[in-house]
Amino acid sequence: MTKHNFGRLFFTLPYYLWLLLFVIAPLVLIFYQSFLGLDGHLTVQNYLTYARSATYLKMTLNSVWYAFLITAITLMIAYPLAYLIAQLKRRDFWLALMILPTWINLLLKTYAFIGILSQSGPLNALTKALGLGSHQLLFTDAAFVIVAAYIELPFMVLPIYNAIVGIRPSLINASLDLGASRVQTFWRVIFPLTKGGVEAGIQAVFIPALSLFMITRLIGGNRVITLGTAIEEHFLTTQNWGLGSTIGVVLVVAMLIVMLLTDGANAVKKGGKRG
Amino acid sequence: MAILKFAGVKKGFGDTEILKDISFEIEEGKFYTILGPSGSGKTTILRLIAGFDQPDGGAIYFDGKQINDLPANKRQVNTVFQDYALFPNLNVFENVAFGLRLQRMKKRAIQLRAQEALALVHLGGYAHRELDELSGGQQQRVAIARAIANRPKVLLLDEALSALDHKLRKEMQTELRQLQRQLGITFIFVTHDQEEALAMSDQIMIINEGYIEQSGTPVDIYDEPLNHFVADFIGESNIIPATMVKDFVVEINGKQFTCVDAGITPGEAVEVVLRPEDLDITTVESGKLAATVDSQLFRGVDYQIMVHDRDGHEWKINSIHKTTVGKEIGITFDPEDIHVMRKGESQAAFNARLASYQEVDHDQA
Amino acid sequence: MKKFFSLGRLFLALVFFLMYLPIFYLIYYSFSSGSRMDGFKHFSLVHYQTLFADTRMISIVLNTLIIALLAALISTIIGTSGALAINRAKRSRRQLLVLNNILMVSPDVIIGASFLIFFTFLGVQLGFWSVLLSHIAFCIPIVVLMVLPQVRTMPRSLTDAAYDLGASRWQAFSQVTIPAIAPGIRAGFFMALTYSLDDFAVTFFVTGNGFSTLAVEIYSRARQGIDLEINALSTVMFLVSLVLVFIYSRFSVKGKGAAVK
Repeated sequence: MTKHNFGRLFFTLPYYLWLLLFVIAPLVLIFYQSFLGLDGHLTVQNYLTYARSATYLKMTLNSVWYAFLITAITLMIAYPLAYLIAQLKRRDFWLALMILPTWINLLLKTYAFIGILSQSGPLNALTKALGLGSHQLLFTDAAFVIVAAYIELPFMVLPIYNAIVGIRPSLINASLDLGASRVQTFWRVIFPLTKGGVEAGIQAVFIPALSLFMITRLIGGNRVITLGTAIEEHFLTTQNWGLGSTIGVVLVVAMLIVMLLTDGANAVKKGGKRG
Repeated sequence: MAILKFAGVKKGFGDTEILKDISFEIEEGKFYTILGPSGSGKTTILRLIAGFDQPDGGAIYFDGKQINDLPANKRQVNTVFQDYALFPNLNVFENVAFGLRLQRMKKRAIQLRAQEALALVHLGGYAHRELDELSGGQQQRVAIARAIANRPKVLLLDEALSALDHKLRKEMQTELRQLQRQLGITFIFVTHDQEEALAMSDQIMIINEGYIEQSGTPVDIYDEPLNHFVADFIGESNIIPATMVKDFVVEINGKQFTCVDAGITPGEAVEVVLRPEDLDITTVESGKLAATVDSQLFRGVDYQIMVHDRDGHEWKINSIHKTTVGKEIGITFDPEDIHVMRKGESQAAFNARLASYQEVDHDQA
Repeated sequence: MKKFFSLGRLFLALVFFLMYLPIFYLIYYSFSSGSRMDGFKHFSLVHYQTLFADTRMISIVLNTLIIALLAALISTIIGTSGALAINRAKRSRRQLLVLNNILMVSPDVIIGASFLIFFTFLGVQLGFWSVLLSHIAFCIPIVVLMVLPQVRTMPRSLTDAAYDLGASRWQAFSQVTIPAIAPGIRAGFFMALTYSLDDFAVTFFVTGNGFSTLAVEIYSRARQGIDLEINALSTVMFLVSLVLVFIYSRFSVKGKGAAVK
């Protein structure tokens, strides 16, 4: 008895070590670091700096606002998209085609937009042809939002699609049978049952959108500063790890709020197949 | 000689006691059925025999040796699982050969044994099929072949037929019985289906809430249920509270009837069992009771007729003759159709009482 | 109804066109003899020649592949044992799952920054090892999530049957449990591979000066402007992705077949 328990422990030890060293320890350390000043002493100075500075507060609000915009845009495109794909005959194939671009390194996709959005790129060629003249597109807020939405779109489509496909057809038939029109069926049956998928999608998009820093650098120039950009700057450029960690803690708190608001993982099961 | 013996076995999971005090002996070469409602502990008994769980108290003996802590892989017992538990990554042959390969048998020997086992379950030509090419009934047979290929001394079958449809189930009951005779080893079959138990077994053990309620041959259990639970669980029955007047006379619903039971204190409150098929419909004048027909259900082999007598008591009658709802009829039965049960009488006490007034020695295993 | 549908089709077509536009835009210009992503000059493979002669780039590609393969392999082993441990844990299962999922939901910058603090705290030299350890760390939870459903749906009777037929613990584990959850393990390995190949932010934080992965290299080159060698590289990577997706779909189809009881 004890012999195999020992064997089992030996086998699962690496996993528990991972939980301790790479999940718990880093979180504790970043929290601890956020209370360290530049001189290495314990202090709440970082939080005071953050809370008193208009720049940081404005940046936080900006970051939340952009993340909200990106999430809203992807949701508006993703819902009808997921719904339409789910109606197609070879829906698995089309879904795979939708997911395929996520397999391409997002750096490359972002890089493509440097060309597309450039002064002499195809988008400007189009606006010129339409008589709208040429514009500075690259390094604008709009460019950042567009590229981020492009990258995040599949992550919104997938959970919504799964929720739609998970609805048992008999539920829709039951609704029609009870006299609901197709539109009523959508709003009263399909949409409520896919709410879990939508929430999961919001989670999957909003949190990364808060922290994207690579797109802000390449596409947004240095005009757009998100929480992610600020953390990267403090850690890798100005070397003020304490303040960077403080912003990190703010980001984690924001993340927890989003997760509490959209308890996506649990909600998905409701519309689930097993019913 | 007993191949398997439980002596005061107890088993619980967490705070719930599943088996409270289980003792029995299993003889070699017989077909045993452990029968009980779900949650009664019957599967737990099987798991203890197989060695998947260890008893909390008492002892389990196999071939005279105590095996409480002997791991499952060292026991000469094999199991047919309720969900078959076939290994999805292996084909039919490899599933059957699994145990043989573990014994490091020679290739040719494995080949022979596996084929032999498959032939016994009538799947001779299926060795190289994949599992998903088989029907549920065929998968069931593979599960049996895999278990018997190891040549166990005892074969355990856990609700083995419950996933099959009615017709296939009947066929498999016959086949299993034949297979058991052919192999000559002990089968221990767990089921909640009393019909299945009656049809297949040499011996039935009825389990309820962690205790053995009664054990015996199917006929004994059917004709002489020991208590309310067994009478109710096995077959259909009218169970009525009654009072013993004196030896061979019992009072049911205020009327006195002749019966064949004796050795009970006069005036003792008892219960009587009257099987619905033992009640006959006759005219009001010649009946022992007069009753009105409430409903009638045709069931293929017979009619199930519900009636109420003049005192308002309900009776269930199974009859091959049709009657008319609302009609006044008479009910009649013979003294030996009445079976009297004392409350809380143990199996041993029952046997002793029976022996005390019957000339014929009533031998109980 | 009919009209709605054609409208829907139009919408679908447009979205799919836009999804693939940037990728094909990159590929298209990789064959241009010019040096900018506008005004296609004429067909040429010159950027591919530069790419294959670029030893720095090739060694970075190799680094990336080595990191991805090692990280996927090790995280698959640890993640599978983790999934089995979580499945066995009766009381602490929920808490274990929450801990497991922390890295799944944490933003990349937080993972990167906290790992950077962690490695500095321990005095680990930033470079190959810190990157490898980080990749293993963020791949483990995804492996657990891919394997766990398989472990859960595997009937307990399967291992019981193995013991019943005489298997030892190790035999039951290697001959029954592992094959039964193999589709999940394969999917986990593949997802881990993808996560590792795709990562930029975490690597960016924990890599030192001497060591670079593809994503980090592309980033630093892209910051300096357009370089059609990157276009050539994207074309190659796109083809590799296609092959990987193809293998993966073959795997999962086969896995499904084997999972039928």
